[in-house]
Amino acid sequence: MYYPEPISKLVDSFTKLPGIGPKTAVRLAFFVLNMKEDDVLDFAKNLVNAKRELTHCSVCGHITDTDPCRICDDTERDSSLICVVQDPKDVIAMEKMKDFQGKYHVLHGAISPMDGIGPEDINVASLIERLKDEEVEELILATNPNVEGEATAMYISRLVKPSGIRISRIAHGLPVGGDLEYADEVTLSKALEGRRDL
Amino acid sequence: MYIEEITLTHYRNYDQLSVSFDKKINVIIGENAQGKTNLMEAIYVLAFTKSHRTPRDKELIQWDAEYGKIEGRVFKRNQSFPLEVIFSNKGKKAKFNHIEQKRLSEYIGAMNVVMFAPEDLNLVKGSPSERRKFFDMEIGQTQPIYIYHLGQYQRILKERNALLKELQRQPQADPTMLRVYTDQLIDHASIILERRFLFLQKLRNWAQPIHEGISRGYEQLNIDYDASVDVSEDMDSEKIKIVLEEYFNKIESKEIERGTTLVGPHRDDLIFYVNDKNVQTFGSQGQQRTTALSLKLAEIELIYEEVGEYPILLLDDVLSELDDYRQSHLLNTIQGKVQTFVTTTSVDGIAHDTISQAEIFTIHNGYLVEER
Ligand SMILES: Nc1ncnc2c1ncn2[C@@H]1O[C@H](COP(=O)(O)OP(=O)(O)O)[C@@H](O)[C@H]1O
Ligand SMILES: [Mg+2]
Ligand SMILES: [Zn+2]
Repeated sequence: MYYPEPISKLVDSFTKLPGIGPKTAVRLAFFVLNMKEDDVLDFAKNLVNAKRELTHCSVCGHITDTDPCRICDDTERDSSLICVVQDPKDVIAMEKMKDFQGKYHVLHGAISPMDGIGPEDINVASLIERLKDEEVEELILATNPNVEGEATAMYISRLVKPSGIRISRIAHGLPVGGDLEYADEVTLSKALEGRRDL
Repeated sequence: MYIEEITLTHYRNYDQLSVSFDKKINVIIGENAQGKTNLMEAIYVLAFTKSHRTPRDKELIQWDAEYGKIEGRVFKRNQSFPLEVIFSNKGKKAKFNHIEQKRLSEYIGAMNVVMFAPEDLNLVKGSPSERRKFFDMEIGQTQPIYIYHLGQYQRILKERNALLKELQRQPQADPTMLRVYTDQLIDHASIILERRFLFLQKLRNWAQPIHEGISRGYEQLNIDYDASVDVSEDMDSEKIKIVLEEYFNKIESKEIERGTTLVGPHRDDLIFYVNDKNVQTFGSQGQQRTTALSLKLAEIELIYEEVGEYPILLLDDVLSELDDYRQSHLLNTIQGKVQTFVTTTSVDGIAHDTISQAEIFTIHNGYLVEER
């Protein structure tokens, strides 16, 4: 189908979003044409700002608009305890339950040779640096309870073990093969209580 | 246990079918390509959420339909409950008593099914993977946790093999990640092996006298587990783990060189002996068939032992393949204890007794007619 160039470009942008195929992209593009100009401007500005103003915290890797992030900067929090998660969404899920008083480290993924993701492709190196500099006593590995998350946790545990830092893995209460972000807050609390030493 | 009724919607060549079955014997008669196997398959899928003849779920949906559905009512332990499996382009859903079960291992086992089809006569002759599949399905349906371990094992195996391929290209790379996968693999492998050994011992106990009976006392059956590692049936998972750890340690560099996992339950096999001779290589076709039949009959008894009820038996096009003696042996064994489905193109070649007790259906192009 031949569209005027500005529409083609917009369609192309929409297809870059996850879960949006060519058909939906066309529908969305035409929808934008009918939106109020102010709304369109806001939309565009919000997209740009979200990208420009949010970065990854240089300490923990969480998404943030300040660097270091508010969690890393919070002196009330226990910096001897670090919870390692796969995704910024996991931090948000844990923060919602307000039980955890330590700090975080976001890996941005899990190791999976099948998908071509090795240890160097996730945020592990900075975790190891962090353990050298900060006075961390305990690491909680809260990667997803599937094969990839489990393997990533074991990998980190092998790297860190010689340092003598206590390592535990979120133990139960989580659906096996499920994603952490789907776990409700109650199961998460239970999981934290039930963490086991590795 | 028995299946009271089944409803198919857009399943294979069935647009819509609702049918109630006899508690004992159901005979389904139809020309080729009318839907006999499709119906047997539907009952099988209701038990396992998977077909016995294709790994691709999509094939089960009627052509041009959006989804395909199987609903059934099963009577077990003095009560009846509904089961449901739906396939669509979004994947599949399985419901037990109206509640969706997210994990396969929580659904399978609700209904137990033993299928015997002409392909199964090749169990002895066929490839090791067919014998592993036989093993895995049968253990899985009485011990759902086995399915969980098997699934994890396969997942880890894929990751491990991908990593070994990488290491093959750069053998100097850090082996830490490989050791992580080795540990994980061993965790599940040791449990899988332990369960297989326990199952084998029970299977052997049941299959031996059955085989002797079918062969009129002339043949002694034996079954060995052919492991890729030096483990034996008397070991428990802890012991197996130690053996595997040592072994994987020893072959690490070889595995890197080859770029793949060289040993484990995915490489194992079963060996059948009749009168101490390997049936696969030295047995006659008759001995191979008798062996396959003994195993299937043993399975029925084994499920009874584990579950406390007899499974549902599906005999797809296979009864007429057996000679009179084997046929009557089979039917004597089940003797009204086991709900049985028999499909055939004609009633000739099937014992008169069976037909006279049975509920008879004829099938034509996805339409089923109850004759009696
Ligand atoms: N997904 C499907 N949709 C519609 N028809 C199908 C589908 N899969 C197979 N069939 C048809 O089902 C028939 C085969 O049925 P089957 O049960 O194997 O026959 P038989 O009675 O010989 O056992 C064939 O005519 C085939 O074209
Ligand atoms: Mg058929
Ligand atoms: Zn931070």
